[in-house]
Amino acid sequence: MSAFSPTTPRFKENVREALANENIQTAMSTAGGGFATARAKARDAMPEFDTIRDEARDLKNHVLANLGDYLEQYEANVTRSGGVVHWAETAEDARAIVLDICRKAEARTVSKGKTMISEECGINEHLEANGIEAVETDLGEYIVQMRGEAPSHIIAPAVHVTLDEVEELFRERHTHLPPDRRMDLETMLAEARGTLREKYFAAEVGITGANMLVAETGQSVIVTNEGNGDLTQSLARVHIVMASIEKIVPTLDDASTVLRVLARSATGQTASVYTTFSAGPRRAEDEDGPEEYHVVLVDNGRTNMLGTEFQDALRCIRCGACMNHCPVYRAVGGHAYGWVYPGPIGSVMTPALIGVEKGGNLPNASTFCGRCEAVCPMRIPLPKMMRHWREKEFEKGLTPGATRWGLGLWRRLAAQPRLYGAVVSVMNRTLSTLGRWRGNFDWLPLASGWTDHRDFPAPPPGGSFQAQWQARGGKR
Amino acid sequence: MSARDRILNRIKRVTVDASEPAPARTKPHLAQPQDRVAQFLAQAEAVQASATRIGSLDELPGAVADELRNRNLPAAIRTGTDPMFDRDWGTVERSTGAGRMKEPVTMTRAEAGLAETGSLAFASGPDNPVTLNFLGETHFAVVKASDLADGFEDLWAAWRTKGLDPRTVNLVTGPSRSGDLGQTIQLGAHGPVALHIFLVDDI
Repeated sequence: MSAFSPTTPRFKENVREALANENIQTAMSTAGGGFATARAKARDAMPEFDTIRDEARDLKNHVLANLGDYLEQYEANVTRSGGVVHWAETAEDARAIVLDICRKAEARTVSKGKTMISEECGINEHLEANGIEAVETDLGEYIVQMRGEAPSHIIAPAVHVTLDEVEELFRERHTHLPPDRRMDLETMLAEARGTLREKYFAAEVGITGANMLVAETGQSVIVTNEGNGDLTQSLARVHIVMASIEKIVPTLDDASTVLRVLARSATGQTASVYTTFSAGPRRAEDEDGPEEYHVVLVDNGRTNMLGTEFQDALRCIRCGACMNHCPVYRAVGGHAYGWVYPGPIGSVMTPALIGVEKGGNLPNASTFCGRCEAVCPMRIPLPKMMRHWREKEFEKGLTPGATRWGLGLWRRLAAQPRLYGAVVSVMNRTLSTLGRWRGNFDWLPLASGWTDHRDFPAPPPGGSFQAQWQARGGKR
Repeated sequence: MSARDRILNRIKRVTVDASEPAPARTKPHLAQPQDRVAQFLAQAEAVQASATRIGSLDELPGAVADELRNRNLPAAIRTGTDPMFDRDWGTVERSTGAGRMKEPVTMTRAEAGLAETGSLAFASGPDNPVTLNFLGETHFAVVKASDLADGFEDLWAAWRTKGLDPRTVNLVTGPSRSGDLGQTIQLGAHGPVALHIFLVDDI
């Protein structure tokens, strides 16, 4: 999987493989509901949490309604502080801009803080293809990069990797260390820390993402726990910030609103360890900081979402809460989704950014349990948007024949209430009679997708809800 | 037409809705503490920072020497050129400048602390190079009680009043950490393994 060749079209096979992959299943069950529990605690500790979520939603709606003006204000303030703003319409444009800056800086090594927009644009592959080493410095990203993988979670990139796999990987890659060394959590962390510290100092260019761009000050904001983003952006001679256009907030006070819901929703922290606001290159008297400061503003399909039923997805602050609470994500992990953004937000963003033809599988992989919307700090109506994608997929004739046939049959039936009632009544009585003995079925025709994994309950005697309702004369 | 103009044109064609109002802002109760100093320390300790309270800056060299000894660290610190650190350091060797590859102990001055989160706010500049906040194995931070703010909004308001406009603002909330190995939180991922705060009681 890469930004260039999404495996989303073969989502079903991906899921089958993920469910059969012992390591993924072990890692995902180890991760368990830790994030969800931590979020619940953080929410309970701040009574105003839900009010601030409303304000965060309204804030982003305000930004999206005035996005052009805020982007211009932001650009003017970056320029005023000595930075350079580049505009990229597509991922290809972003790759060309980044490569050009790296070449001018005569970069051989580029250090990278965690940035999903860089994943989306395929920056690492492009730099490597042009002879520049790109080193991911977030510990999770470092692990997945060495494994030749993409992140499987937007804030915990290596959540699918077991500790045993990390140990094996470090023994294989850190060949400068004695092969028979003792390894535990602490020494593994120290190894990565030591190896990467040299990279920060060697890199000519450091690339980070941005959690926010503050229009009134021209600052980019990064939020991390490891400190890798800060070392990336303060030790290299050139700092490139990559950000999608919707990351704008108008003022520092608005940034505070987002910060108050971001860490709590993501990891359950009151605040992430490092929140850094940066404006422009180092100043005349400074002893450190980059000599050049570039911002690459990336559109890559987002302006096409404005004014559509998918606009609200642009409120996303990439906290990961939707995937942490998603039963589908937690069963199959992030790679099955086949592109950059997994989980419920991925199911909405992927068809928008790579097309419903390639990404239409994802919105179908939802039980519509609604937990994603319930926990989203920006109150994005994710299930509703997935439904919109299902409609679009159907309209375009992309839905598989069997599904279309089944839906057509159901539609004809549902349009004739008497016939519908009669058919349901027969089915109900048959299932009820056949299942009377056990109370459930471990096999039913055409229902193996259900019965392979759990029993199907037999309907209780007395007929369908409608039949019972009628029998009681429409009273409880 | 440039990429910039094409992007802005696409945006402005569909989003000319000046009626969407700027939202209200609620200040959480956490940001309105009964006792600012106590809440700041409680929040900082909740994220594995530690702290020493000292009566005045004159006590700083002694407190630093004690802390280095308690932690079995070499008697050496690296700082910026902040006048706050122009003192007689006795047996503690002080060097100044930006951070280097190996820094056992760095010390920087925080412009403010936040009671809401236990965060320290550092402003970059030659007197407090930004790399010293990240490269120290152990990071010592000095903050005055009079520079503590309740919540984010108070912090930004105070800075506007002071006319502070640094290139970089670092909000630091505890020592560096990662949960990427086996989903177990460990301190000292890339930044400091330990964060110790010297809180100067000047109020």
